[in-house]
This record gives sequence, C-alpha cells and structure tokens, in this order.
Amino acid sequence: MSGEHRPADPSAARARRLSDAAALVTAAAPPVLALAVLVAVWEAWVRLGQVREYLLPPPSAVGAALVDEPGRYATAAAETAAAAAGGLVLATVAAMLLAVAMAHSRAVERALYPPALLLKLTPIVAVYPLFTIWFGFGLWPKMLVAALITFFPTLVNAVVGLRSVDPAALDLLRSLDASPPQILMRLRLPSALPYLFAALRISVPLALIGAVVAEFLSGDGGMGQLILIANGDLDTATLFAAVVVLVALGVLLTGLLAYSERRVLFWHASTGDM
Amino acid sequence: MAPATAPGAALADASPPALLVRGLSHLYRSPAGDVAALDSAALAVGAGEFVALVGPSGCGKTTLLRIAAGLLAPRPQPGDAAPTVELFGASPDAARRGRWIGLVAQEPGLLPWLTVERNVRLAAELAGVRADVPALLERVGIAEFALHHPAELSGGMRQRVALARALAHAPRLLLMDEPLGALDELSREALRLELLALWERDRVSVLFVTHSIREAVLLADRVFVMGERPGRVLAELDVALPRPRGEELVATPAFVGLESEVRAALGRRGAPA
Repeated sequence: MSGEHRPADPSAARARRLSDAAALVTAAAPPVLALAVLVAVWEAWVRLGQVREYLLPPPSAVGAALVDEPGRYATAAAETAAAAAGGLVLATVAAMLLAVAMAHSRAVERALYPPALLLKLTPIVAVYPLFTIWFGFGLWPKMLVAALITFFPTLVNAVVGLRSVDPAALDLLRSLDASPPQILMRLRLPSALPYLFAALRISVPLALIGAVVAEFLSGDGGMGQLILIANGDLDTATLFAAVVVLVALGVLLTGLLAYSERRVLFWHASTGDM
Repeated sequence: MAPATAPGAALADASPPALLVRGLSHLYRSPAGDVAALDSAALAVGAGEFVALVGPSGCGKTTLLRIAAGLLAPRPQPGDAAPTVELFGASPDAARRGRWIGLVAQEPGLLPWLTVERNVRLAAELAGVRADVPALLERVGIAEFALHHPAELSGGMRQRVALARALAHAPRLLLMDEPLGALDELSREALRLELLALWERDRVSVLFVTHSIREAVLLADRVFVMGERPGRVLAELDVALPRPRGEELVATPAFVGLESEVRAALGRRGAPA
C-alpha cells in the first residue's frame, strides 16, 4: 500500500534513501559515542579502582557472560518474548472487541468502564498466586499477567479512536445508507488505528515487565528465572547480561512496532516523527 | 421578489419537486436552554433546478441541509404542526435508503487511507452500483491523481474528489453545504466555474448552501435568502440570467442588480460578496 502513491522516479528515490542513511548516521552518532564513552569509563573505573566484581562487574565480564552461553540467553529471551507478545495480542484483541461494544453504546460503556478501571487499579502481581492455582505453570499465567497489564491503555485508546471519526466522512457514509457494520469496518476501525498504535507503544514495555515479573514469581523459565538464579549465585555479570538482553528485546519489539506503524499508518501525520 | 410564503408555487402542478420543505422548525437542546435553529423554514428545489440557499453563518442552513439528507431528524417547537420535508415526494429516510442523495460538505471528508480512486469507488460500492470512476475523475479534472492519497492533494483538489464521490452513484439530488467555503479565493473562483460548466451539462437537481452572494447568483436558477436566529427563509429570488454562464457575467448590470437584491434581502448592505 505504502509505495503506490509515491511518484515513480528511481534516481530520486535512491538519492532520498542515501540522504536518509546519512541523516540516520548523523542522528545515531552522538548517542552511540556517548554510550561507548560510558562503557570505557566504567571498565577503567572497575579495573583501576579495584571494585569487587560481585558489586559491579566490568563491561568485559558482562560481554564474556553473554558470549559464553548465548543459547541460554536466547532460550530465556524467547520464552519471555513469547509471554509478552502473546499477552499483548490477547489484550489487544479483547480490548478491541470490548471497545467496539463500548463505542457503539453509552450504556455498555457505563456498565463496563468501572470494572475495567478496577482491573487497572488491581496490582496484578498480587493476583498472580491465583493464576498459578488456576492455570499451573507454563506460558498461560505469564501471558495473562502481560495481558492484564496492557489491557486498559489499549481499551481506553481504542474507545477514543473508534469515536474520533471525521464527522464529514461519517455524514457521507450515512447519506449513502451505510450500515453500522459497514461504518465500523470502513471508517471507525481505520480511524482508530493511530490510537491503537499509540497504545501499543505504551503496552510493549509494559508487557515485557509483566512477563518478567511473572517469571520472578513463578520461577518458571524465561529471563525472570535466569535473573533469579544469577541473583542467588551473586553472579552479577550474568545479572547485567540479562538486563542487556532485556533491553535488546525491548528495542527489538519497539522497532518492529515502529516499522509496522510506518507501513500501516503511512497516511497518518504522526508517522513522520516516529 | 416573490413572497417567502409560497416557495416553488409554480411547480405545484408538476411532478414532485426534488426537495420540498415547509414549516420546518428545529430546536437544538442545550443545558443553557433550547436554541431555535430553524423557524418555519420553507423552500423548494424543482427537478433539474439549481437552487442556492444564502444566509449568514449560523443561520441554520446546515441544519436544513442535514435534515433534508436524512442525517438529522427535525425537532419542532412544542405544539407546532409536523413539518413537510419531501424529496421527490418521499421522506428523507426513504431518499437516503434509495441512495438518491449526493452530499458535498465544506470539509471533503475523504478517507485518508484510501487513494483518490478508491475514495470515489467507495460511494458506488456502498450504494451497490457500478461506477465509471476514471470517467468521473476525468470530469472533475483529477484523472492524473487517481492513485494519490488525499494528504498529497490541495484543498481544491480534495473538493474535486468529494464532488466526484458525490456523483459516483448518480444521485437525483445534490446537497452541497458550502463546498467552496474552505478554499482560498483563487481555487474558489476556478472551482465554481468548473462546477457551473459541470452542472450545465448534467442538470442534476442541486441545493447549494453558501454565504457568498456572488456564488449564489452566478450558479443558481433561484436563490432563497435566510435570516438569522432562528433561521427562516426571508425571500426567494429568480435568477433570470441566460445559460451557459461565465465569469464575465458578474460585471453586467443585471448580475450586479441581482446581487444587491439578495444583499438587501439579507439586510446587510455593503457586505462583501
């Protein structure tokens, strides 16, 4: 979809890509440099200052921990990512279904908004023991935690999005006797997409937190369990390595989201300044 | 100047008019008290006639048009007789279900995720008819932008798309609510001449709401003048100018005379055209 409205001029497109790449390098250079300086200072400080490694390992030790057992981190990261992504999908589908009902009926909204708000105010961590009683261990209870944490922001944004249609477009569709399902599919859902993506940008990091917290509580696989074990061993290099992996996971998921947002919302003004 | 009490009386014995409005009052409810938007408004659009409705901002022109389009149910003053709003002898709801109405508003209301071509096709799809979309785009002068998205077009271009979309299902009555109102003066002049040429070929029935006196006199066969708060139709003027018309007409004594008649009816002498 996104390509077809661009004027077809290959040389101009190539020039634009080149200048885009140059702009990316210019934009990325300062933070990368700052990070490199930070790592170098950290390494020097630990080595020269004789800091005990179980308090603060040097970056080289963290890197060594990662390189020693890449499979261990990959497996744990995949488990955590599956729980976070699964929970996110579950929450998004449920929130969209409920939002459609709420956007069409003030009565449904009035009835269901307070329970949804209660859900948001419930500390999900406190409910987790119940989940293990009901669902045991494995992926499901972890996914549920991630889903419950991300459900509310998605619901609120989706309801606002479904209602924020262009009144002139709505009049036009109604003047053509479009049915409510037609108005939903042709106008309301596409209009809600920018709001949905805004919610997902909040939800992606929340879902990761939910998944890791669930793994802390259950000790059942994933990055959470890896961190628990390393903590028990006072293995701070592994702890730092786990943090690095989780940050990378967050960056990856956010990047995927930004990419799909640019593809899907090519028509929306917000996609320019992602 | 004909009295406002019998609009379209000359059409009474012909086939049902494209639009007939009589005794139309409408109250907007508001916490601060009800606001009368329309008070016994009356007008008629004959079949194949171009009728302009002129009035100051906020006089209820848009309310009248939305009621005619079946988008708003009239809410009369308590105790008033039920109003008459008929399109080709049928109710606005029936007209909407029959897809007789083509709507062009001040805001184009295009779907930004669809190309120009798909925006126009959407109207035909919803109406369940086939449309020659390339020919429609050709007629409004935007054929080369068929695959562009609305964000890539100027305001004038977008209104052309909106016009093509309104024509896509071959409506019997075009309802236009200040379609040129949001455009800059140059696009506005260019587009109203094209609109004039387009209409003079097809002669579809039109109710054209505007606050521009010049636009009303240049385009319409008949002009209804509305007053403010509550909106009522103050006057009805025949525009007996020959067709086809062009921009050169606006300098003729007949045109200027009609303009000042409309201005006098509006009760605000010297207002800009």
